[in-house]
Amino acid sequence: MVLRLVILGAVLGLMQAARSFAPADHGAAQAGAGTLAFGFVLLAAFFTGRSFKSLGLPRLTGYIAIGMAVGPAVLGLLTPAMVVDLKLFNGVAISLIALTAGSELDFRAIRPLLRTIGWITVIAVFGTTLLLTGVVYALRAHVPFMADLALVPALAVAALLGVTTVAQSPAVVVALRDETESEGPVSQTVLGVVVLADLVVIVLFAIASAAAKSVLGGDADVVRTLRELGWELFGSLGIGVVVGVVIAIYLRQVAGNAALFLLAVSIGVAEIGSRVHLDPLLVALAAGIVLRNLTELGERVLHEIEGASLPVYAVFFAVAGATIHLDVLPLVWIPALAIVGTRAFGLLVGTRIAARVAGAPPEVGRFAGFGLLPQAGLALALAMLFARTFPSFGEGAGALTLGVVAINEVVAPVFFRIALLRSGEAGRRRARDLSLSGGEPSPLEAPGR
Amino acid sequence: MRDLLPWRVLRLASAIAACLCLIAATSLVRAQDPGQTPDAAAPVDATAASAAAAPDASSAVSDAALDGGWSDAGVLDGSAPLAALAQPAPPTFAPPDAGSATSAAPTTQLRDARVPQPAPSPAPGTTEAASSVVKTILGLLVLLGLAVLGAHPRVRRLESALGISQVVTAGFPFVALGLVARAPSVGLFDDRVLAQIAPLLQLGLGWVGFLTGYQFEVRALDDFPKGTAAFVGAMTSLPFALVVAACGGLLLAFGQPWQDAVFLRDGIVLGSAATITAPIAASIARERGVAPGTQAVLTRLGLLDDIAGIVGLLFLGAFFRPATADVAWALPGTAWLFVTIGLGFSVGVVVYLVLRRPATNVEQVALVVGCVAFAAGLAGVLRLSPVVVCFLAGLLVGNLPGDYRPGVRKVLRLLERPIYLVFLVFAGALWNVGDWRGWALVPVFVLARLGGRALGVRAAERTGGASELAHGRAGIVPAPMGALSIAIVISFQTLFAGRAVPWIVTAVIGGAIVTEFVVQIGLLGGRAQRPRVAALPPGAG
Repeated sequence: MVLRLVILGAVLGLMQAARSFAPADHGAAQAGAGTLAFGFVLLAAFFTGRSFKSLGLPRLTGYIAIGMAVGPAVLGLLTPAMVVDLKLFNGVAISLIALTAGSELDFRAIRPLLRTIGWITVIAVFGTTLLLTGVVYALRAHVPFMADLALVPALAVAALLGVTTVAQSPAVVVALRDETESEGPVSQTVLGVVVLADLVVIVLFAIASAAAKSVLGGDADVVRTLRELGWELFGSLGIGVVVGVVIAIYLRQVAGNAALFLLAVSIGVAEIGSRVHLDPLLVALAAGIVLRNLTELGERVLHEIEGASLPVYAVFFAVAGATIHLDVLPLVWIPALAIVGTRAFGLLVGTRIAARVAGAPPEVGRFAGFGLLPQAGLALALAMLFARTFPSFGEGAGALTLGVVAINEVVAPVFFRIALLRSGEAGRRRARDLSLSGGEPSPLEAPGR
Repeated sequence: MRDLLPWRVLRLASAIAACLCLIAATSLVRAQDPGQTPDAAAPVDATAASAAAAPDASSAVSDAALDGGWSDAGVLDGSAPLAALAQPAPPTFAPPDAGSATSAAPTTQLRDARVPQPAPSPAPGTTEAASSVVKTILGLLVLLGLAVLGAHPRVRRLESALGISQVVTAGFPFVALGLVARAPSVGLFDDRVLAQIAPLLQLGLGWVGFLTGYQFEVRALDDFPKGTAAFVGAMTSLPFALVVAACGGLLLAFGQPWQDAVFLRDGIVLGSAATITAPIAASIARERGVAPGTQAVLTRLGLLDDIAGIVGLLFLGAFFRPATADVAWALPGTAWLFVTIGLGFSVGVVVYLVLRRPATNVEQVALVVGCVAFAAGLAGVLRLSPVVVCFLAGLLVGNLPGDYRPGVRKVLRLLERPIYLVFLVFAGALWNVGDWRGWALVPVFVLARLGGRALGVRAAERTGGASELAHGRAGIVPAPMGALSIAIVISFQTLFAGRAVPWIVTAVIGGAIVTEFVVQIGLLGGRAQRPRVAALPPGAG
């Protein structure tokens, strides 16, 4: 622990020295700055994650915490330009995470849980959206940009905020499942729900956004909205199937350098997909589902991705931390805390009710709700989209949604990790792998020396 | 074997012809592009952008250049960045130990625009913006695809079957692809795209430096036979001197003023690149039937002369730093020398502490990549050479005690080829092949280097200190240049500007390719004749 802190201190010190050389974001040093930011974030996140793990906290909370600490809002070791440079990782990370999630979604295995997943999505996710809408509406006197709105516009904006703040994080779920090596009904159910909820939230946001535009006197075009939504959902899934087939052909015909190939595919999906208004998460998710359910290559894909997952997760979550606007929290802390509390209450209670209705195993009702609490990429994207779509609400709306995401991003993974440990699912995957390999650790887990 | 010879010669000749055709085609494409003349190698986008941004400054620069007021180019070749174009002040270089000249001098940023420079971003939502994004993505995908392809075992087997498995010729298709992708008519790697994916170049330079330093075993020096130091000294100083003299003469003929510190700088980088021997010298010796002991010595010699190249680059980075206004540290050259060495070893200590901790294979890959990126990035931000800083870090890490070394070596080897091939594509993209003066330097550079090495062996034999090493002459004299030579010259290109910079890059990359083809042809003859060389006396290797 002491040595880890010494290393962390040395890395921070060297970074500070480098930053003192060229204090401004100057173009001449930009090439070096991008490389430096990547190496610095990777090392700092790795050692902070390890330190957090030894304290019984999730590694990814460590990644997020160090990102916040060194980001522009606190120490400023990472400049805004460096954070932008590192955002290339976001798309790649989301694609890889979605590919992992899809490759883990074995429909044969989760068939018994489909009913539970459906009920949790309806009761917990959809129900919490309605609850949040009501709470935001009730709190409108404390929300500066809503105080002067009439009933209907206030309801429309409240609904939009409800959808924006209910979003979950498949990335955190997949990362924590990997970190704790969990396997069982709780983690399977959570994964299924967050993936399904991702689709639901995208649809709800599009509908609520169009409705809010219409109510607020904007030029909402329902047909266009539906067309764009259809393209984003079904286009993404269709392209995802094609990508899955391409990966399958490569793995069968070429086989070599599969990890690099998957990385290249992830970059393509993330960057090209978002430019043509496809959802990279859905594209990669569909590809993963194809590989898992229509081929025998699902395990292999997971194995190949595992090698790249550590740096990708570390950089992705650290950048997410660096992106958090801590400075806005003092401005919106009352409504933000109310929304965070309501959201947690709705998701936890809703999951318990849904699990009982669906006749799920008792541990699903007790623990699965905690997996729905974390927020990261999608919620941040929706928060920023919300602020961009309705600029008339000013910085206040962005501050509120970003504040909610910030709290959930930092705190919620801790609860989900505890839930996985308490449910007894943590470590099951490792135990299964060890039993299959006769006690030998996998090559990736083997000591590197 | 004799029956096979014509077929192998034919294959080699076709490979050479194909390479030359590629270069010629690229040169033709560039020459036909109205935005590019031999003396105005700036890409169309940058030229247009600069003209749009500061037309007055642009014309002022042209006038100044025509008046001969710019002794140092980077302006004359149109390769100065937009910032420099906007501030037509005389360029200044800190001469050796010039005290605080760096801080006192008028500040003009002297960098070569062939190095990835961030061009102004187009307005979001425009066709140009979309095109730039798509190009960047395609560029990244091409790089990754090439890395995957180049590292594929089948490709490596094919290279081996074709007899081109040496370091530069095997990578030459990647250099050529970089050239083609950079051509304005293809337009895949324009300035903006290169600027966006430039961190990969820094990482590649750092990787080459770290790997070279890591492989340098200080303990192995004790096993070297007596006289090795004199031998290596002769083998590095004579090629260095001969290349500096010969190429310097040609540079003078091309109008480079000898009074300018830039002239000395250009000579040093050419000489430094010429001193380096590819580690494959030993395998060449094996092909020629040289005794195994000599092969081992040659392998270690291949590592020893890397030091000369690194030292050259170290001095260049310290004493010839371009003066810039946008930095907070204003130090004399000697201080920069110590900063570079101190930074290299400081990073080395941190990397050592990082890597000696227990880690799984996955963690070790992440840590090694993170360490090299961190070291290379630190160097890049401080405007030092990533090759030098990472070499020093690798040297320390590779020679300190610890059981992490086999694992780290495995990771370095695992990623070496993909990173190196990506680096070569960059080298191709940054290479300006359209200037004939660079090509004129190639034969001079190659012949001077070979002559210097031949003289070096003779000098070592005369002193008698390393007579047993002279058995390896067959491998030593025509030994190809290593990857480090290319890294040095690319690193040089990222740090400095000047009219002669593109010529130097052409001389070194072209020289490396020509040398390797010469070696290959020599090998064919060697295989046909199968000479037998006597084994070395005991203790020689």
